Amino acid sequence: MTATIRPLGMLKTYFGELQETSVEAGLSVRETLHLIGINPDLVAGVFVNEELQTKDYIIQDGDIVKLLAVIGGG
Amino acid sequence: MNGYGGSILRVNLTDGKLTKEPTPARLAKDFIGGRGFGVYFLFKEVPKGADPLGPENKLIISTGPLSGMLAPGGGKCDWTTKSPLTGGYADASMGGHFTAELKYAGLDSIILEGASPNPVYLFIDNDKILLLDASSLWGKGAIDVEVELKHKYGEEYQVAVIGPGGENQVLYACINHDFGRQAGRGGVGAVMGSKKLKAIVLHGTKSVPVADLEGYRKAGMALYKACKDAEGLAEWSRYGTTIVTSWCNEVGALPTRNFSAGSFEQIDKINAQAMRKEIVITDKGCFGCPSPCGKYSNMKRYNTQVEGPEYETIGLMGSNLGIGDIQAVAEANRLADDLGIDSISAGSCIGWAMECYEKGIFTKADTDGLELKFGNIDAVFAMIKKIAYREGKIGNLLALGIKRAAQQVGKGSEKFAIQVKGMEQSAYATHNATAMLLAYMTCDVGAHHNRSWAITYDLQVGREKVVPEKVARVIWLQNFRPMFDVMGSCRLQWVELGIDRDLYCPLLEAITGIKRSWQDLEAVGNRIWNLTRMYWVRENDGFGREWDLPAQRFYTEAPKTGATAGQITKFEDVQRLLDMYYDQRGWDTNGLPTQGTLDTLNLTTLVV
Repeated sequence: MTATIRPLGMLKTYFGELQETSVEAGLSVRETLHLIGINPDLVAGVFVNEELQTKDYIIQDGDIVKLLAVIGGG
Repeated sequence: MNGYGGSILRVNLTDGKLTKEPTPARLAKDFIGGRGFGVYFLFKEVPKGADPLGPENKLIISTGPLSGMLAPGGGKCDWTTKSPLTGGYADASMGGHFTAELKYAGLDSIILEGASPNPVYLFIDNDKILLLDASSLWGKGAIDVEVELKHKYGEEYQVAVIGPGGENQVLYACINHDFGRQAGRGGVGAVMGSKKLKAIVLHGTKSVPVADLEGYRKAGMALYKACKDAEGLAEWSRYGTTIVTSWCNEVGALPTRNFSAGSFEQIDKINAQAMRKEIVITDKGCFGCPSPCGKYSNMKRYNTQVEGPEYETIGLMGSNLGIGDIQAVAEANRLADDLGIDSISAGSCIGWAMECYEKGIFTKADTDGLELKFGNIDAVFAMIKKIAYREGKIGNLLALGIKRAAQQVGKGSEKFAIQVKGMEQSAYATHNATAMLLAYMTCDVGAHHNRSWAITYDLQVGREKVVPEKVARVIWLQNFRPMFDVMGSCRLQWVELGIDRDLYCPLLEAITGIKRSWQDLEAVGNRIWNLTRMYWVRENDGFGREWDLPAQRFYTEAPKTGATAGQITKFEDVQRLLDMYYDQRGWDTNGLPTQGTLDTLNLTTLVV
């Protein structure tokens, strides 16, 4: 029961070039981020299997979770 | 001159005289273009103490060397003037396709001078330049006029136009282009209206000389490839700036009910998902854009369409007004665009008026009978129209901007007038985000976010911390980010896609023939920043530290709800931020650049 966390773009550099990571399913995205040492406040967008979700989404087996960094406004 | 159109066009609206002069090579070398050209002409040519809405003021439209070129987002031009809203320096960056045509018409800047006795519009087709009668267009909405002029001249002609807000000199009137792009802030549309210039119609077909054609092609393609390969491109392009809406809500930065809080209980009704699901029909990008942030929307309930809303408008005309309804926010956006007023300032002014009403400072006698409560959608629509037409007591009051309105009304309303230097704060609540607060305090047009978007840094290093590193970050961003407005390109490819900024240097060199590193460019940015500061000093007696203070709410009144409930910035920390900022900038304790700093930057002769 695992899923994949994939930080995108600038978000990688916030965490020392963090690459794709496998995580256990069953927890929310927010809880998972805490577990792997990512500050949820620095994640603007959570895309699960290409769909935008909130950080309260419960990660399912086989999910691919892409994380987009906070951005610069208009 | 490589990378430039080669000419500056002067349009004297008073006598109708049109003159061209060569773009000075020294100007291009020292100030590069865009807002660099703008502040140079403003400082040099507009007399001290000029009435911003009088014929002495000028409105300067400038491209940069990347404008209209093989550069991602090379569709930006800059509109510079003395602001009628703030009395200080203003520039507004506008996307779309206008700047490319300006360059192809052989022009680097248009300097609009004087004031016409009758409504006119400026027509430019390469070297054919005319001032034409606009009496039949005066009074019409900006979108309608753009449609009319496109039908008259053809789709390839680009149009910049003011709405009734500009005609009526609402102090935060904007200039519209491309059915949804604006030169939005500081009242540039009011200045255009004061000159009785309704529109500019523009088309050019000339080529632009470049120093190294093969190097230009290679460097341009490398930048586009970097954008295309960037992780997150598809996700970013799907939602544009609205993707930040939910994030701002989570971290307590989403302006809510006149910035009394930073989180909104109806966030799910105005966030990126709601917008994409409910109203978006297609994406829309500017000239040369590989990552279109624009979203074109259809509001079924109103049977209307608009480009937007983008994040700032969702913040100021949604949560800030207590409106949890994306169709209503989009319709408010459309009204503001068509009537030609800045949706950020308008949203902030209406939010302030709503708080006045709910606190009993205003009654229906003050609001022309409107029930001006948070969440009242019909009242918001009515207020946008009243402001644009300066209709009634409340419309006239809010057309002056929030600072003047609060000064007139008094009764404690100044405390919740969310502005710096007279400009309404854009859509980041800064109760507890000290770097972002400092960015707003020291921004060179007033409380605008685009110079230094430092809120990320607050979250990385600790939002309440007041340390020199934060101040240094704000200054670095202020020197660096506006260089995109100087070069004539969009900064979002760097900001959002995270492409390597060093890729811009070989492109700039291949186009202009002048080698510049980012260190060189930031030095130009620093020089421009000090020049805009000196413009404030020159135009405002007693200008100094007091002008840099933030809205009182952020250091006197903590939010009661949301992610930042109970959190606030101490006033002593506000002062410490300024102390460190002035010191690092080489300014005195009152916030004025020292003689030594001006000498070092070779600005002394210019500012005397």
